[in-house]
Amino acid sequence: MSGTLVIFKKELKGFYFNSTFWMICFLVSLVFSWVYPIQLNLFSQLLMNYVMQQGVPQNQLNIHYGVFLRQLSYLNLLLIFVVPALTMKLFAEEKKLRTFDLLLTSPVTSFQIVMGKYLAALGAVGGIVLLALLYPVATSTLATVNWGPLLIAFLGIFLVGGVYAAMNLFASSLTENSIVAYVASVIFNVSIWFIGIGTEVVDGERARKIFEHVSLSSHLSGLVEGTVRTNGLIFFLSIIVLFCFLAERVVESSRWR
Amino acid sequence: MIQVKDLTKDYGPRRAIDKLNFSISKGDVVGFLGPNGAGKSTTMKIITGFMAPSHGSASVAGFDVFENPLEVKKRIGYLPEIPPVYADMFVQDYLRYVAALKQVPKEKIESAVKNAIEKTNLGDVQKRLIHHLSKGFKQRVGIAQAIVSDPEVLILDEPTVGLDPKQVAEIRELIKALKGQHTIILSTHILPEVEATCEKVIIINKGRIVAEDSIHNLSKMEQGQIRLHVRLRKGVEDMQSVLSNMGSVIRVHSGASAKEWDIDIKGSEEAVEDVSSLLVGKGYGLLELTPAKRDLEDVFLKLTYGQQEKGGPA
Repeated sequence: MSGTLVIFKKELKGFYFNSTFWMICFLVSLVFSWVYPIQLNLFSQLLMNYVMQQGVPQNQLNIHYGVFLRQLSYLNLLLIFVVPALTMKLFAEEKKLRTFDLLLTSPVTSFQIVMGKYLAALGAVGGIVLLALLYPVATSTLATVNWGPLLIAFLGIFLVGGVYAAMNLFASSLTENSIVAYVASVIFNVSIWFIGIGTEVVDGERARKIFEHVSLSSHLSGLVEGTVRTNGLIFFLSIIVLFCFLAERVVESSRWR
Repeated sequence: MIQVKDLTKDYGPRRAIDKLNFSISKGDVVGFLGPNGAGKSTTMKIITGFMAPSHGSASVAGFDVFENPLEVKKRIGYLPEIPPVYADMFVQDYLRYVAALKQVPKEKIESAVKNAIEKTNLGDVQKRLIHHLSKGFKQRVGIAQAIVSDPEVLILDEPTVGLDPKQVAEIRELIKALKGQHTIILSTHILPEVEATCEKVIIINKGRIVAEDSIHNLSKMEQGQIRLHVRLRKGVEDMQSVLSNMGSVIRVHSGASAKEWDIDIKGSEEAVEDVSSLLVGKGYGLLELTPAKRDLEDVFLKLTYGQQEKGGPA
């Protein structure tokens, strides 16, 4: 059994056999159970009266835009704060409790340690995304749902969750203090959305293009509308690889510091 | 089994260990002795592959710890100063996890865990959360963790620190029981521990090895010297002058009060007899006279703190 798998299993159990995770799931579902029916209700009212209303954008008459994408933006907002809570302990607590010594004196490489932990974090993020997916699934009993775009949109938000997890894993590896890890993670997660603002302030065509390419929202917008573009996927994967690599370097550095 | 050559580690400008050289052969139980901050833990961490040395090299079973850390780590069981246990795991699950991490083959994990639990007497608590265990039990879980993969080399960093006397005795018994199956390095600053468990001692001070020998040889370093502890009924103001005309007396140390003294004498039993008859003859009321060989403790103090005295303030 390779080291990655051993650590992955242990950490995943650590998430799913822990009350904290279920507490988070409960709170997330509480939020959705409140906002989702309201959204759905607003949408049905809009459909009933759309003849009378002027200037309603065409796409708002589609349940994908009118309900599901709004839910996804709430989910994204929640993930910004929830993913750090899940990942903050992954390295910080190990360092604080000195269990990190055990990992570093076991025959596993830093790469395996980081991969095991990252995949487990992804497993936990996946759980929350699946939880959110239950709401559209329940809606499918009342309305016709176009599954393709819906699943791709959820894949998109899962990838964003994956980006958060990678950045937050890196933040956790930097410190012994879980709270510091949490705050740094949230700042990472929020600030990645601000990179795209650059498109609005630069003048040069080339600079604008560059900002467009490194903006998370421009890549996500394709996915949430149901189109998979390879450059988007590659963009998400590169951020994930970059931060996992940085975390791996930090873990490795404890051997020569 | 373990070869250490010119091992040096700097923490910034501070040199923690300075050109250590020693070798440990298979099956040895070696005590690593030194005052706090002497560089014991640093040396052990380097041998385990936990961190890299600044200069020099260390190898375990022929594998260099820096060039080939994975091979070294497969062969080592390590108990750090603070046992690396996860509070939210059950003892059994934790040991299974460590066994898998140490690449024990899947089909042997159960028997390895059972074995480690048996050896460390954890049977009663194996299904409890580590969080709920006492410090002594956590320490034992730490030892179980180190031996679960049946490693060739066992490195224990202060295994009895912070335990009550009964637990200390238990851990010592455990280490004795592990003798012969593993090569053991034990670091401590508690001397009786070394005397009770180790065959060979490496004394380290300020990052340098000051002595490396078997316990037997070390405790005989000051040959022919006997320390007498005397307790008298009457107080004596100046024992030195009382004993001044006896040639065999080397030094007199005052004890807890004017009624207790430690007298270092040279020579054989006749010298002891002379001192006792003198004290009785003077009518001090000799209550107790205990000869004590200069033991490991004295050797240790002399080698570590004695250097400081000679070399002026450190």
